[in-house]
Amino acid sequence: MSTTTSRTARPVRPVAMAASFLVASAVLATGTVLLVRYGPGNMGTGFAVGGGIVLLAMAVATWRSLRHPGASTTVERALTNTGDERDRRIAERAGAVLGLVSLPLTGVAAVLVALGVRADAVLGILVWTLLAVVVVAYAVLVRRG
Amino acid sequence: MRNDVRTLRQREGLSQAALGTALGVSRQTVNSIETGRYDPSLPLAIAIARHFGTTVEEIFHVDDN
Repeated sequence: MSTTTSRTARPVRPVAMAASFLVASAVLATGTVLLVRYGPGNMGTGFAVGGGIVLLAMAVATWRSLRHPGASTTVERALTNTGDERDRRIAERAGAVLGLVSLPLTGVAAVLVALGVRADAVLGILVWTLLAVVVVAYAVLVRRG
Repeated sequence: MRNDVRTLRQREGLSQAALGTALGVSRQTVNSIETGRYDPSLPLAIAIARHFGTTVEEIFHVDDN
């Protein structure tokens, strides 16, 4: 039975993290340019700020994981993909909760649009609700598991 | 599932972080196992048993209630 790599924590891989930053930065820059030019209202600014916060969180998590590997939190290990079996199980279960909730929520959103509610407003609320669901699910699972 | 990980760890004078390092998992994972909030996978349970020089069934006990 050779499952050692699945249970143990992975070390921080600086090259892989740098590549992830580059790809994420390119996606953020492209998305921002497209949304600023073609998107409604201030969607481009919101995309840039939200994406920037995520990139900053990834950078801080990577720095902390490299500097103090033993003191990193569950969230930091998840962001840097250096978690052990418990960290991965928490992430999987939070993803499962999100997937389970997304189906009825998307259905409700479709019904609201069909009833005449503004589609862009419904879509915005849907995204924020799903984000809140995954954050709360993750926090609860970290505390319980 | 109850377990004797905390007792065995304290008998060896190890911290949770030190045991986590020895097993290749985080301090939080060791804490969750000790408090019964997380049941480790079979490979990790075997690694814990080997670390303390005993068997899985000597450390982990199924709750009957």
